[in-house]
Amino acid sequence: MPIHEEHLIRPENLKTHEDLVIDGIDVSGHWSTFIESRVVTDYNEALEEEIAALPGGEFIHRCWQCGSCTNSCTVNAINPDFNPRYWIYLIRVGMESELLRDKDIIWQCVSCNKCTYACPRDVVPEGVMKATAHWLELKGHTPKSPSMLFDEEFSEQVIETGKIEEGRIIRGFFKRTGQPLMQDWLVEMAKRLVAKLPVTLLVKMGLASVLRPRTSGWSGARDAIQEYVDEKQAEQRKALRLDELVEIAKQEVKPGQQAAAE
Amino acid sequence: MTSKPVLIVGGGPAGLAAAHALATIGQTSVLVEKEDRLGGAPILSGYAKLVPSGEWAKDAIGGMVERVESNGLVTVKTGTTVSEFSGEPGNFSAKLSDGKSVDAAATVLCTGFTHFDSVNKPEWGFGTFPDVVTTTQVEQMISSGAGVRCPSDGRKPKRVAILLCVGSRDRQIGREWCSKICCTVSANLAMEIREEIEDCHVYIYYMDIRTFGLYETSYYWRSQEEFKVKYIKARIAEVTSDGEKLIVKGEDTLVKRPITIPFDMVVHAIGMDPNVDNMLLSTIFDVELEPHGYIDKKAAYGTLGATSRPGVFVAGSATSPETIDDSIAQGNAAAMSAYAMLQGAGKVAAE
Ligand SMILES: Cc1cc2nc3c(=O)[nH]c(=O)nc-3n(C[C@H](O)[C@H](O)[C@H](O)COP(=O)(O)OP(=O)(O)OC[C@H]3O[C@@H](n4cnc5c(N)ncnc54)[C@H](O)[C@@H]3O)c2cc1C
Ligand code: SF4
Ligand code: SF4
Ligand code: SF4
Repeated sequence: MPIHEEHLIRPENLKTHEDLVIDGIDVSGHWSTFIESRVVTDYNEALEEEIAALPGGEFIHRCWQCGSCTNSCTVNAINPDFNPRYWIYLIRVGMESELLRDKDIIWQCVSCNKCTYACPRDVVPEGVMKATAHWLELKGHTPKSPSMLFDEEFSEQVIETGKIEEGRIIRGFFKRTGQPLMQDWLVEMAKRLVAKLPVTLLVKMGLASVLRPRTSGWSGARDAIQEYVDEKQAEQRKALRLDELVEIAKQEVKPGQQAAAE
Repeated sequence: MTSKPVLIVGGGPAGLAAAHALATIGQTSVLVEKEDRLGGAPILSGYAKLVPSGEWAKDAIGGMVERVESNGLVTVKTGTTVSEFSGEPGNFSAKLSDGKSVDAAATVLCTGFTHFDSVNKPEWGFGTFPDVVTTTQVEQMISSGAGVRCPSDGRKPKRVAILLCVGSRDRQIGREWCSKICCTVSANLAMEIREEIEDCHVYIYYMDIRTFGLYETSYYWRSQEEFKVKYIKARIAEVTSDGEKLIVKGEDTLVKRPITIPFDMVVHAIGMDPNVDNMLLSTIFDVELEPHGYIDKKAAYGTLGATSRPGVFVAGSATSPETIDDSIAQGNAAAMSAYAMLQGAGKVAAE
C-alpha cells in the first residue's frame, strides 16, 4: 500500500524496498513503502479504572473523543505530540504500551485548565493528566517529578508540625532533588532579605528554623490526617495492584539470585 | 363528543395536527398562538425544503395552516397567550391575555422549542464575524430565493464549514441533550449549497453523525456520494479571522493532527432549547418539567402525551427535541388521548 500519511507511522514500522516486484508488478520506489501490520496483545483492561482511582482521573469514562482538550491545549500548541485526547483514548481502551511511549512528556501539563473549560463532557482533562503522571510514577515508569517531591516535602512537614516553615521546605526539597543548597539566586535572595527585612522578623525566622515550632495540640489532628492519607494511599496501591506487582517482581528476581549464589 | 372545545396552546406542526385531528372527528377546539401567525418554527423562522419530504416549508406547513384556518370547528386566536388556568378534566377554564375566557374540556400543550442562541458559544465567532451564521439563517437565505451568500459582502462562498452540535451535547453550557434533527438538516443544507454553488466546498465538522434511521441513505451517504460533502471528525476550538477569511482551528482527531483552515462562511448547526416560556407554562398549567427543562411526558404505553396533570396533554418539541413528522404524529396522538378521556368522562357522567 502506498502511504500518503507517512507521519502517522513510526519509522520502525515502515518497510521500504528499492527493487520489488510482486506478482509481476514493479512496486519499487515510492510504491515500495509498506506498513507492517501490527498485532497488539498487551491490552491492560484495568487501565481506565486505575487512572480513575487516582485524584483527577474520576471522570475519564465520560470522554467521547471530540478533541476539544487537545485543540485548546497550551502545551499542544508548542508540542503537537502532547495530546490529552489521544492519551485518554489509549487509557480507555487499555493500550498501555502505546501510552508508555509518551511517558516522558505527559508530565508537561501546565495545569492551565483551558481543556477543562472546553470539554463538553466535563471530563476535567487537566485532572486526568495529573492522574496519569501520578500513575506513571507509582508504577515506576517515570521517576518522581520535582513537583511531586515538593508536594511530599510540603505535606509531610504540615502533617508533622501543623505549620510550614519555608526555609526548611526549601532545604528539604533541594535535598530530595539532589540540588546544592548554595545556589546563586538563593544566596542573592537571602542577602537582600537580610538587608531589607526588620530585625525582629529575621530573628523570628531564624528561631523558627532552629526550634521547629509545632501548632499546639496538633498530635490529634496529625494522627487523623496521617490515617486518612494512609487509607487513601492503600486504596490507590490496591487499585493499581502495586503490591501484587512487587510480589511478581520478587519472584522474577529469585532465579537470577540463586544462580549468582551458586 | 362534548360541547366544550379542547384548548390547544401553540400553533406549530404539533398544534396544527392536534386541531385538525379533533376537527376530523367533529370535536371543536380553540387554538391559542402567541405569535401573529400560525405555522410554528418552520414558518416563523422561514425554513426552506424540509427533511425528509423535500417539500418547501411554506407549502407543506402552509397547507396545514390553511386546513386549520378554514375549518369551522377550530377557533384560531393569534397574538394570544393563556394567563390563568384552572379546573379539572372535562371542566377547565382558561383566561387569555386578551382578557377573554375559554371553557375547555381538555388541553393540549404544543408550545414547541426555542432556537439556541449562538452568542452563548462566543469562541465560535457568531455575533463577532458577520459571515458566521446559523442553520436557520441559511434556511432563510434559501427560502427567500436570495441564495446562500456571505452577509459581509454578498459574495458566493467558495468554502463553507458547518459545525454540528452548537448548543447541544455540551455540559459547559448545561445542554446535554442531542437535538436530533440538526445532523440531518445540516446534510440537507450542505447538499442545497452544493446544488446552488457548484464550485463551493462544504465541510461538516462532527463528533458523531446522527442521521438516524432511513436518513442514513438519503442524507448521510447521498451528501457524500452524490454531492461530495466532506465530513471531518473534529470539534472546533475557535473561529477567528485574518481580516479576509474566517479561520477555523481544531484537531483532526482521526489523523491526530492540528488543523487551521480558511473558510468564507461558517454555519452553526444550532440546537433546540426548551421553550423559554416553559417555567411560566409549568406554573400556569401546573405541569411538571423534566430535568432538562422540557415539559414532562408520561411513558407512552398507557395514554400518549399525558402530563403530570390529568386532562392536560402535551405534544411535539415541547416535550423534547423532535422532528416535524414526530411532532405531527404526537399532535394527532395527544388529540386522540384527549378525545378518549372526554368520551370516558362523558360516559361516567351519563351513568
Ligand atoms: C434550523 C432547523 C431546521 C429544521 N428543519 C427541520 C426539517 O427539515 N424537518 C424536520 O422534521 N424538522 C426540522 N426541524 C425541527 C422542527 O423545527 C420541529 O420539529 C418543529 O418545529 C416542532 O414543531 P412543534 O409544533 O412541536 O413546535 P414549534 O414549531 O416550535 O411550534 C410551537 C408554537 O407554539 C407557539 N408558542 C410557544 N410558546 C407559546 C405560549 N406560551 N403560548 C402560546 N403559543 C406559544 C410558538 O409561537 C409556535 O408557533 C428543524 C429545526 C431547526 C432548528
Ligand atoms: S491543563 Fe494541561 S492538558 Fe489542559 S490545556 Fe492546560 S496544559 Fe493542556
Ligand atoms: S474535550 Fe473532553 S470529551 Fe473531548 S476529547 Fe477531551 S476529554 Fe474527551
Ligand atoms: S443531531 Fe447531530 S448535530 Fe444535532 S445535536 Fe445530535 S449529534 Fe449534534
